Amino acid sequence: MRSPFAYTPRPGPLQSASPGAAVAYLGSLAAVAFVYSNPVMLLATGGALVLAGRLAGAWRAVRAALWMGLTLALLIVAVNALVVDRGETVLVRVGHLPLLSDVITAEALAAGAVIGLRAAVVMLAFAIYSACVDPDRVLRALRPLARRSALTATLVSRLVPVAAADAARLRDAARLRGPAAAPAGRAPLARRLLAGSLDRAVDVAATLELRGYSLIPPPPKPRVATHIPRYAWQMRFDRGGSRGRNGVRWCARSRSRYDRRFYAVGAVVLIAAAAGKLAGADAFAEYPAVEVGTGPATLALAALLVLSGLAPRTPPTQTASTSPPARGRS
Amino acid sequence: MQFGTEARVAPALAIESLTYAYPAAVAPALRDVSLELASGELVLLAGRSACGKSTLLRASCGLVPHFHGGEIEGRVEVAGIDALASGPSELAAAVGYVAQDPETQVVSTTVAAEIELPLEMRGDPPEARARAVEEVALALAIPHLLGRAVDTLSGGELQRVALAAALVTRPQLVLLDEPTSQLDPVAGDELIWLLRRLNEEWGVTILLAEHRLERCLAAADRVVAMDTGRIAFDGPPRDFLAWAQEADAALETPAARLFSLCGIEPLPVGVRDARQTLRGMGVDHPPHLPSRRAIDSHPTEPTLNAKALWVELDAGEGPRDVLRGVDLEIRRGERVALMGRNGAGKSTLLKAAAGLIDPARGKVEVPAGIALLTQNPSDYLVRERVEDELPGEAGLAALRTVGLERAVDADPRDLSGGERQRLALAIALAGRMEGDELPGIVALDEPTRGMDRARKDELVELIEGLSSRGAAALVATHDVEFAAAFAERVVLLGDGAVIADGPAAEILSGGWYFATEVARVLDLPGVVTPEQGAAALREGGL
Repeated sequence: MRSPFAYTPRPGPLQSASPGAAVAYLGSLAAVAFVYSNPVMLLATGGALVLAGRLAGAWRAVRAALWMGLTLALLIVAVNALVVDRGETVLVRVGHLPLLSDVITAEALAAGAVIGLRAAVVMLAFAIYSACVDPDRVLRALRPLARRSALTATLVSRLVPVAAADAARLRDAARLRGPAAAPAGRAPLARRLLAGSLDRAVDVAATLELRGYSLIPPPPKPRVATHIPRYAWQMRFDRGGSRGRNGVRWCARSRSRYDRRFYAVGAVVLIAAAAGKLAGADAFAEYPAVEVGTGPATLALAALLVLSGLAPRTPPTQTASTSPPARGRS
Repeated sequence: MQFGTEARVAPALAIESLTYAYPAAVAPALRDVSLELASGELVLLAGRSACGKSTLLRASCGLVPHFHGGEIEGRVEVAGIDALASGPSELAAAVGYVAQDPETQVVSTTVAAEIELPLEMRGDPPEARARAVEEVALALAIPHLLGRAVDTLSGGELQRVALAAALVTRPQLVLLDEPTSQLDPVAGDELIWLLRRLNEEWGVTILLAEHRLERCLAAADRVVAMDTGRIAFDGPPRDFLAWAQEADAALETPAARLFSLCGIEPLPVGVRDARQTLRGMGVDHPPHLPSRRAIDSHPTEPTLNAKALWVELDAGEGPRDVLRGVDLEIRRGERVALMGRNGAGKSTLLKAAAGLIDPARGKVEVPAGIALLTQNPSDYLVRERVEDELPGEAGLAALRTVGLERAVDADPRDLSGGERQRLALAIALAGRMEGDELPGIVALDEPTRGMDRARKDELVELIEGLSSRGAAALVATHDVEFAAAFAERVVLLGDGAVIADGPAAEILSGGWYFATEVARVLDLPGVVTPEQGAAALREGGL
């Protein structure tokens, strides 16, 4: 069983888009989650990402990220409630305990929920990126920027797939431990996973060096009509089918016709978020009492954010077509 | 040795007085190594584990010192290029490198992209890349894989893809670090002869590090043996066997050991050579002897019982039946080798028995429990002290079982490869033993990867110890010589079904690929080890 976060080639707009466009789109939503604290905005951003993931065919990644993100959010809520004693609405008095608060307040719970929600939304954005953006294209896009560091490129483009494969093996090994062996435990497993993934990333980076990654890339040639021989396996890709579509690399897939859409939506989200911030759309206070702003600016921006989740939608004309979806530039 | 002489063709590889130590290492990994490979040679690099073979290969492609750091002295030239001044990327056009673990040498998501990557990095035009990818895929018989995602490939397929990516730039020198360690005997033999063909037809110089020498000695022009970072021998294969006989018996091939036990000279470099020598001595048709290693009776209840077991898995390309109606019974005390091609279902059967995978149909029962050690023992080691992994009396009992009770305070990372493997087995055993009584079955999945013969012998001792204490040992392995050493029974899987099940001596002498070298030389039913072969030849009047 493949990891839900592993990249799966599909013919959707988000998968076809260049890495820069996908990062601009998903990054703009993640940026909103970082900048805003109003739960309405965070929920709207999360909703947009769930919608985007669903439309991009990354539902498994979305579900896994939601499960992980909401588990983390609950943990943050619990910890925040136990250690923060601010807030007017006391729910429970727990008495004096070292390092812990004497009371649990509704405000501390709400503040923890906001932090947890923010973490969950960022995890959602990263999960969709990992499942929808081709690491090969990321690797090539990074080359001009990180030519002298194959390791950096490997960590950016391959760490998630490598870690996903390692995690599956470590899970199996943890289940196979004898009942008298110390339980593997989440923290030791996480440390082992990180260390192992970094080790393997170093090995992959060595391979990348051996493939010539550090060579100075040749200058781009002017695009002229050139006859490129079509081989049997290329034609197989041309006919479509889940196996081969992602294999065609001869046509430089640096750009896609969907790039403008994602850049535009990303820009609109960022501009609207900045304007909303100025217009008071982020009105929220945890202490001394919880106040959530639900003014027109907040609601309008939340609606816009949810709508931005429609960006990966496939145009109806394409789904009606009987020919395979176009790959590469158009 | 001459460097940079214009009057002669530059050797494919020239190393002069090379000494190298990894960062923070106590001792150098290479000591005063000098070596020259002429263009078109196929050279086998032999030696025990950790003797410096991999480091020498890494120095020959520029990863040492450019990627690993450390202190280095001496000179390395690849096709006339100074490897110490140039990095691995600059050497990429002249040298290809294939590492032991194919999973760490793929950087793309599809096979076509992976093979094309070095050409793209070099800036070749699309039409040249298309042709080169097509040609190398045809040469390695993998055009059908070009559209596949790399994470759906088997180990053997992945190894071929890695080799294709190393060859696609048409390098003068190809370095391979134990490329057959994860391959079944069929794929391993195919790979060696493919290398020989590339060497002969394309003129590629090949430097091949291997532990299973019997597999590749006949294909080599020359053997270089290393010992603790130095070159201990450099010469033709036949001379190497004579040297190994005196200097390090662990490097002898089974056929050479057979001959030396019988006092036959010269020692054979392969099966064909051995047969010709025997024929010349009039031993053309050795007597057919009855099987010597019948399975001992184990009149106990089955400790593993699989009935009509079907398992379906989806590796990303749709569900596939990996096990197809397997019936299998294993009893306490049995030592069973589970063999078959890559993807035949060996690991899946072990995982189903251990409860990691649910059957689609049928059942598999292990009434007295199972301890399974998977292919990567390091996956079991998550703490920084042995005692933290195995606390209490039950943990100590497990450590005693594998002979590691003295290492309770050690950091698992400081243990040797063999000790780490034993520690991982102890972790799997802990709490599954009643007092000192072992679980019904101890299963090991490919435990000999990257092991030299001395370490394999230690593992055989451990398995025999577990078996003598009442546990059945079920070991999935590709290593026929190892199977012949420990197993009394072999179960051969083919495409998810049991295609042969019987005494090891019978199964390992009854075929061609899943047969030991001695069995292939003598072709006698039931004769699989050098000792058995020598006895048979003596009985035949030799």
